[in-house]
Amino acid sequence: MKKIGKKRKHAETIPEPKKELVAEERPKRTLLGWKDKPVVNENEADVPTFRNKEKVLITSSRRINYRYRHLMLNLVSLLPHCKKDSKVESKETKGATLNELVELRSCSSCLFFECRKHKDLYLWMAKSPGGPSIKFLVNAVHTMEELKLTGNHLNGSRPLLSFTTNFDKDAHWKLIKEMITQIFGTPKDHRKQKPYYDHVFVFSIIDGHIWFRNYQISCPHTGADKIDRGGLEKMTLIEVGPRFCLNPIKIFGGSFGGPTLYENPLYISPNQIRALEKKKKSGKFAKKVKAKTRRRMHEMSNPLEQDEFADMWKE
Amino acid sequence: MAVHQKRAAVFVAEAENNADTESSDSELEFDEEDEIRLSEPSENAIYNRDGLLDKLEDISWPENVDWIHKLSLDVNQEQEVDANDDLARELVFYTQALEGTKEAFLKFQSVGCPFLTPAGYSGAMVKNDTHLEKVKDQLLAEKNRVEEAEERRKARENEKIAKEVEAQKLREKAKQEKEEKRSARQLQKERQESGLSGSEEDGDIGSADEDKSTFESDPSVGKAKDPTGKGKKEADKMRKNRDYRNSKHGLGRKKGMKKQSKTETTNDTIGGFKKSSFSKNKRRKA
Repeated sequence: MKKIGKKRKHAETIPEPKKELVAEERPKRTLLGWKDKPVVNENEADVPTFRNKEKVLITSSRRINYRYRHLMLNLVSLLPHCKKDSKVESKETKGATLNELVELRSCSSCLFFECRKHKDLYLWMAKSPGGPSIKFLVNAVHTMEELKLTGNHLNGSRPLLSFTTNFDKDAHWKLIKEMITQIFGTPKDHRKQKPYYDHVFVFSIIDGHIWFRNYQISCPHTGADKIDRGGLEKMTLIEVGPRFCLNPIKIFGGSFGGPTLYENPLYISPNQIRALEKKKKSGKFAKKVKAKTRRRMHEMSNPLEQDEFADMWKE
Repeated sequence: MAVHQKRAAVFVAEAENNADTESSDSELEFDEEDEIRLSEPSENAIYNRDGLLDKLEDISWPENVDWIHKLSLDVNQEQEVDANDDLARELVFYTQALEGTKEAFLKFQSVGCPFLTPAGYSGAMVKNDTHLEKVKDQLLAEKNRVEEAEERRKARENEKIAKEVEAQKLREKAKQEKEEKRSARQLQKERQESGLSGSEEDGDIGSADEDKSTFESDPSVGKAKDPTGKGKKEADKMRKNRDYRNSKHGLGRKKGMKKQSKTETTNDTIGGFKKSSFSKNKRRKA
């Protein structure tokens, strides 16, 4: 078994004897330019296995709301393969500086929480260095500290990811699903992870939005590696939190920029919503005046009949 | 937001030059009020399917990676759920999670690796103990509140019922008394009518009997009822006599001569009739 030279950034591991399924040797970051490199090892004898070396950088912009900051911290605790960084200045929330930051911290993807006007939270999911990036609008935020969310799970255990089949229906959903799997799934041999599986992330598409839920799995069991039918039936899920709802806005070809690959046609920015509401309110007086004139015109065109009893009570 | 729009505008032009650009317009549902807003942006909404699929290929992991790396499960979700109906929506999420987990556990079992937390395992949890204490307290408090409300309601109902029962009892008693009195009077009447001649003895006996009967029938009643042997009517008649009244209230009073200024009344309360402890009698009798 030849060990491959240290020039390669990806260290290949010694194949584990237990594993039967073997992944083809392939550099994970294809965009570093190795996609076209001819594959060297094609024999199955000592093909090294696939290693997930995902690292996520989680940052936020300045002037972030307390609620959204707690959401960010909850996510930090949920993903053991993340690195939390300090807030970025508002000037630097565009493109280049964020990419540099991600490279500096040697992370492969980034979750960036951008809060605008203290009201709206936008979430960027980006793959570095040249991967696609997605901008979402975040709604319906409930953090883990809410007292109604009573579940709890091991810190660092790998989550099961449950998607609906809607995610395979269209190209942009597929891309989003792949990014979510890579970002939210803890790598298998991460040093901080616990070997048991006791919580599940749920991503489902309703009304064009992606809803996120996190449940703790509790089922009665005896051994650590087998469970009987009865146990499976009695499994219950307790919500751990947090909860949020993502509305995809745009998908860009590059990281934090680049050509727009997808635009959500149903997306209306919250500013526009607020402006429209204000307009509705401001039109009240004009509407009243219009209604009055309309009534007058109507009365003029359809005169009433003479009332027989009009003179009855006249003195 | 504005910067991104600018960028998008720039690259829209670029994208449109590509042969691959398609614009999506099919997946729209309109509300009446949104229609005006959406019809324009929908036409130039970019949807570069090929580009998306290209990127997907770039970033995705190799095909034959173990499922255990990904841990992703696909659950079928057929019914359309309204996003605003909270309960139904949460139910959908719950069932989705449940199905996914069951599938996953079966897969784990087939692979044979340990996946369930052993009984005595203790490790750092995502929420710390103090927080869980708070949660527990809140749950307990809520349970107590509900229980107390129940208890109070029950107590109220019981009270009502008890009151009703008591009222019923009293009514019964009153009825009984009435009945007994009526029967007693009837008896007396009959006796009077029948035994008018030799009434004294009989009357005495009768009165004695009456006495006993009335006394027996109201053991609980006190002196309010007439303890005398006379019948009720006779007692009434006597009460209306002039002599009786005189004996009670004196020989009558002068009509309007209650208050008068006389020698005796000159010194009555000079300072006013209201007597206070601090009042000084300024001009007392020497």
